[in-house]
Amino acid sequence: MDELEQVADDAPGLVGAVNSLEGLKGVETELIGKNSVISRMRRGLSALDPDDRPTAGARINEVFTGVQVVIADRRRALEIAEENTLLVSDRVDVTVPNHRVTLGTEHLLTTVMDEVSDIFVSLGYRVATGPEVETAWYNFDALNTPSTHPARAESDTLYVDFGDPSDEMLLRTHTSPVQARYMQDHVPPVHVVVPGRVFRADSLDATHSPVFHQVEGLVVDTDITFADLKGTLEYFAKAFFGDGRVIKLIPHFFPFTEPSAEMHVSCFACDGSGCRVCSNSGWIELMGCGMVDPNVFEAVGYDPSAVSGFAFGMGVERLAMVRHGITHIKHFFENDLRVLGQFV
Amino acid sequence: MKVSLSWLRDYVDLPIGDPAVLADIFANLGHEVEGVETIEPQFAGVLVGKVLTVQAHPNADKVRLCSVDTGDGPTDIVCGAWNFEAGATVAVAVPGAVLGRDFTITRREIRGVVSNGMICSSKELGLGEDHDGILVLEDGLPIGTPFVDHLELPDVVFDLSITPNRPDAMSMVGLARELAAHFDMSYRTPSPDLTVTSGQIDLRVDIEDDRCRRFVAREVRGVHVRPAPLWMAQRLVKAGVRSISNIVDVSNYVMLELGQPTHAFDMDKVADSHIVVRAANPQETLVTLDGVERQLTPEDLVVADVRQGSSLAGTMGGLESEVSDTTVNVLIECASWDPPTVMRMSRRHGLRSEASARFERGVDPNLPRLAADRMAELIAAHADGTIVGGVVDNYPAPIEPLTVVLPIDEVERILGVPILSEQVTDLLGRLEFSVTGADPLTVVVPTNRPDVTRAIDLIEEVARLYGFDNFPSRVPTGGDGGLSPEQRRLRTLRLVVRGHGFSEAHTSTFTGYADLAMLGLPQGDRRLQAIEVKNPLREEESLMRTTLIPGLLQSARFNLAHGAASVGLFEIGKVFFNEDSPELGLVPDQPEVLAFVAVGSVGSADLAGFGRPVDVFTGMALWRTIVGQLGLGEYRIAQAEIAGLHPGRGGYIERQGEVVGHIGELHPSVARSFDLPGRVVVGELALGPIIADPGLWAFAEPSVFPPSEFDLSFEVAATIPAASVLAESVRACGDLLEVADVFDEFLRGETKAVGIRFRLRAGDRTLTADDVTAARERIVAAVAAAAGARLRGA
Repeated sequence: MDELEQVADDAPGLVGAVNSLEGLKGVETELIGKNSVISRMRRGLSALDPDDRPTAGARINEVFTGVQVVIADRRRALEIAEENTLLVSDRVDVTVPNHRVTLGTEHLLTTVMDEVSDIFVSLGYRVATGPEVETAWYNFDALNTPSTHPARAESDTLYVDFGDPSDEMLLRTHTSPVQARYMQDHVPPVHVVVPGRVFRADSLDATHSPVFHQVEGLVVDTDITFADLKGTLEYFAKAFFGDGRVIKLIPHFFPFTEPSAEMHVSCFACDGSGCRVCSNSGWIELMGCGMVDPNVFEAVGYDPSAVSGFAFGMGVERLAMVRHGITHIKHFFENDLRVLGQFV
Repeated sequence: MKVSLSWLRDYVDLPIGDPAVLADIFANLGHEVEGVETIEPQFAGVLVGKVLTVQAHPNADKVRLCSVDTGDGPTDIVCGAWNFEAGATVAVAVPGAVLGRDFTITRREIRGVVSNGMICSSKELGLGEDHDGILVLEDGLPIGTPFVDHLELPDVVFDLSITPNRPDAMSMVGLARELAAHFDMSYRTPSPDLTVTSGQIDLRVDIEDDRCRRFVAREVRGVHVRPAPLWMAQRLVKAGVRSISNIVDVSNYVMLELGQPTHAFDMDKVADSHIVVRAANPQETLVTLDGVERQLTPEDLVVADVRQGSSLAGTMGGLESEVSDTTVNVLIECASWDPPTVMRMSRRHGLRSEASARFERGVDPNLPRLAADRMAELIAAHADGTIVGGVVDNYPAPIEPLTVVLPIDEVERILGVPILSEQVTDLLGRLEFSVTGADPLTVVVPTNRPDVTRAIDLIEEVARLYGFDNFPSRVPTGGDGGLSPEQRRLRTLRLVVRGHGFSEAHTSTFTGYADLAMLGLPQGDRRLQAIEVKNPLREEESLMRTTLIPGLLQSARFNLAHGAASVGLFEIGKVFFNEDSPELGLVPDQPEVLAFVAVGSVGSADLAGFGRPVDVFTGMALWRTIVGQLGLGEYRIAQAEIAGLHPGRGGYIERQGEVVGHIGELHPSVARSFDLPGRVVVGELALGPIIADPGLWAFAEPSVFPPSEFDLSFEVAATIPAASVLAESVRACGDLLEVADVFDEFLRGETKAVGIRFRLRAGDRTLTADDVTAARERIVAAVAAAAGARLRGA
């Protein structure tokens, strides 16, 4: 039994001196392996006096368990130390972009069209689209624009060669023909916005492009008045340019609305005191609008004595250029990744 | 239209003069203000003087010595101009006067003679560009008075943009009427004094074309053509009209004052005192005032004598009948023309004149008589002429004022505020609309307002004068709005494509034959049958695009040229085919497509910026993600040789046997023609089927039982697509299949190995070895039968 007590005394020291998991294995074999003192003594129990056996057996087990605990503790400590060593060697400089994932960006024109659409969707509007190659009837006649109107000249409008030459076919000059199509297909009430691409026979300069985009709006119901137009555009101005914006409506002329107005919004950059953004006027001209002309209602089969409505239309490039300080309209169509990458 | 405040005040006694306030009032009346310019005199200390004598300078040839009276008796001034003689009234800068910013006039000696100041030219006074000689003033200006007193300076000039529906506002009197209506006050119209006349007009005017609505003529005899009086010339200059001579200036002055364009002919050049208004003959030519010989057509209308055309009606006068320095007798024309006719003539001949701008809008046909009288009065007054008695007024179908009925509740229905009948009557009355009755109102519209023909037009007039600022605000909302499922899915689609590293582009709708030809498409391909633009801006923009790919390739090229190493772009937009639209009929088919292009590496990259180089699989991976994210189950990729694409690296996307798009690498020759290096991946897909609403998806309860997985490696002919092996495997495996996909593929000569990993799982039990074995055997047998595949290692 002295041998056993020697083991019990020596074991913590032996185990504690081990510095690796492999070394610990050897010590474990030495202390509790097949040929260890403890194992030998267990095997020798049967040779003992039966009266001594329980005491001796209990002591052997006690020592055995004690040694096991010491080894387990040591193993855990060594494992932690080993892992810590590994983690130190596994250190990286996390500031280095070793893996890059590059997502594409949304085009600013899309962003603005969606944003404008969503403002009106939040007011319960639907979003409609229509053909870009359009008949002169939808683009002009239905919109109370007579055949003599200068906008119909080839110097202003692009025409295409398609179908029967008597059906003048053109590139829509505004998104308004979708108004006419939508009204033909729906009974009032109508609350709709129309984003889309439009065309004019304009040469490219800083603010003009033969291809550009508009968002059109149309509301028709039995009780729509000029006050509804005014309130709606005020709501839009605040939603798009921020709280605190005020608008003014200036009388104007468009064939398809009567009365007609130009909508100006107080400058978001200077709050109306005058700056570069608003050419020192304090106001930014944003869109044309007005009450739908009765002739338009008649053209699409609505009864102008039963319904009234308002319409408005704004240039998407202009909205984007004004709000983001974009210097030339070409930036929308060159698709320069250095520009597209800014539209986030 | 440039409007000087001092001139405007001739017709209306404005209660305010603040230019900014007046500009706002103009704008709120619907007359957009493009600019407000304050004009200050560019000199000080200049007096009106009279030249008493002119003598040669004793010591110089090029200058003369003048004795000039500026109110304090004769004083000597040396002058280098030769366009005047003794008796001329002139502007004199006396010693101490300042010209321009800081040129002070002093008494100085010129070649031995003391000159006590300077006789000024228009240019020196900042009044015009004329520097040919000194400014000779009309007689009668009081000697010694400050010159500035005769110039209406300082002044304010408003530059107004008059909308095309408002002929009445293209005049001083018309704008005075507008301001008077705003301020609710009266205004004045000139009432010409024609009490002194001599003789009787002897002129025959035949209107042979009803596009001439009225022709009024007057005659003034014995005129002296010379510069117009200073005040008139200065008013014209402020209005942006060059001063020419008293006769021409009076003509322009009356046009600006009343809005009625007028024309002055040299009466002695009108053959037989007989004027004919007629359509031009097919081969007729006319040399206009600008010296250009115009080829006329029967669409054109001319004022002619019995021999030849004298002017292009309402557009521009003829050179031959023009008033010249030697003209003695003047024929005044004040006519009314059909507006569209003048518009077409002015456009056809590229002649946009002040006259045509007014006639296009529709000048009041009841204005010519007043204008002719006014012009006669002014010519008599400023060109010493004698007005011939009588007037020729050929007015075949006089235009009567229109009567419009306005139910009073229509005003509130459109404007949203109750405006009383009395108020409407008042507001319209200010514009000289005569209103009777209470409800409905009966409104007689003056003939100067051809834009007002309906109740709604009257409502607009009411709104304008009531003030848009004074209307309340209300925000109406719709009941059934929102994005459609397709619109929401379109946004998801864009997000998914961006997630693969492609940036959204917007390219031009136009293309050209050269770009289409570079795509390497076969003859007869519908993309080559592009719709032509009749009036393209440029040759390269003469076609409507049939594919988005050339535009995207050019954008890729642009980016590479500007330093980008990789480009991933996509666009969603319309393409146009020379076929009727299946949905809309009359217009061409113009479906929307999704297209993309990739060069270099797109999406992810390592530290050095190297990503997986793009190839056909870049495009197919994008497609697979779209299928997964938008739930498009039933699509198939079909390997194919596609024109313009790499013959071995492209495929069609099919849906229920129908091709809806293609994805592949550009054929190297096509890539070269677009100047693009390396592999270039392109794809173009019909948008409609991608965003079509698939309806609600059905929930699948996840199994709680464990899966069984196994791999099969087949050996098949190299030409068999892996997708076919996979499809056959899936079909054969049956209901227990949870997922299967190709995990390995490699070529070995004529055959290739296709490895497929299967995961099977049942919803109601743990699978047994027998289940798995049976499935394996079904798969192997089916693939062997369908694709001649042999299980490798078996």
